[in-house]
Amino acid sequence: MLMATDGAPRRPRRPPGARPPLARIRHPVAKTVILAVLVAYSWFAAGTVPFTRNALLIVLVPGLVLAVIAYGRPPERIPPPDRMDVAGFSYWAICIIALFEWEASAFRDNALWWHPSLTDLIDPMLGPHPVKAAAILIWLVSGWALVRR
Amino acid sequence: MATRVITIIGFAALILALFVLEYLGRRQDTRIPTLSEWLGYVMRPWAGRLLILLGWLWLGWHYFSR
Repeated sequence: MLMATDGAPRRPRRPPGARPPLARIRHPVAKTVILAVLVAYSWFAAGTVPFTRNALLIVLVPGLVLAVIAYGRPPERIPPPDRMDVAGFSYWAICIIALFEWEASAFRDNALWWHPSLTDLIDPMLGPHPVKAAAILIWLVSGWALVRR
Repeated sequence: MATRVITIIGFAALILALFVLEYLGRRQDTRIPTLSEWLGYVMRPWAGRLLILLGWLWLGWHYFSR
């Protein structure tokens, strides 16, 4: 007996032999453990001294892990919109390009006191250890969100 | 002093505009996408995906390694 499937959402077809996407973790204990690991990593990473090998590694390691996951066994992705309104798209593009331009103009002026770059303004805020740890945690989570998109 | 304040106001205005866009994008029946939808659309082609992920990595390096 055939079931009517006309209205059922269809999953994208995988090529034969391809590995299934990384399953989404739903168990609360597993989620808590992952969050605890990320918090601990962020706390440790916030303690590294800038311009040292460790400071470089705390960024490269998550980047490498995400690259391996994204390339090797990507998670089930949130489907992107098929179409987008040109005006709606442009609003975001204009704001982001303007932000980069404003930052670039500060760099061009060598980030003088009277024309500071965003980096110069944010760096002092990242001074306290908990704030930097929180910023690193947000950065890690946003990286995972990008891989899922 | 005035130039520094203008620069800071410029950054604040642009960042505020991003939040306003996100708010507008979350309303019903709007043509404005949310940041997540916008990024998803930009990341449809392979090159866009690579660019955004490299941007994410650069952001981490710039603020946390240096």
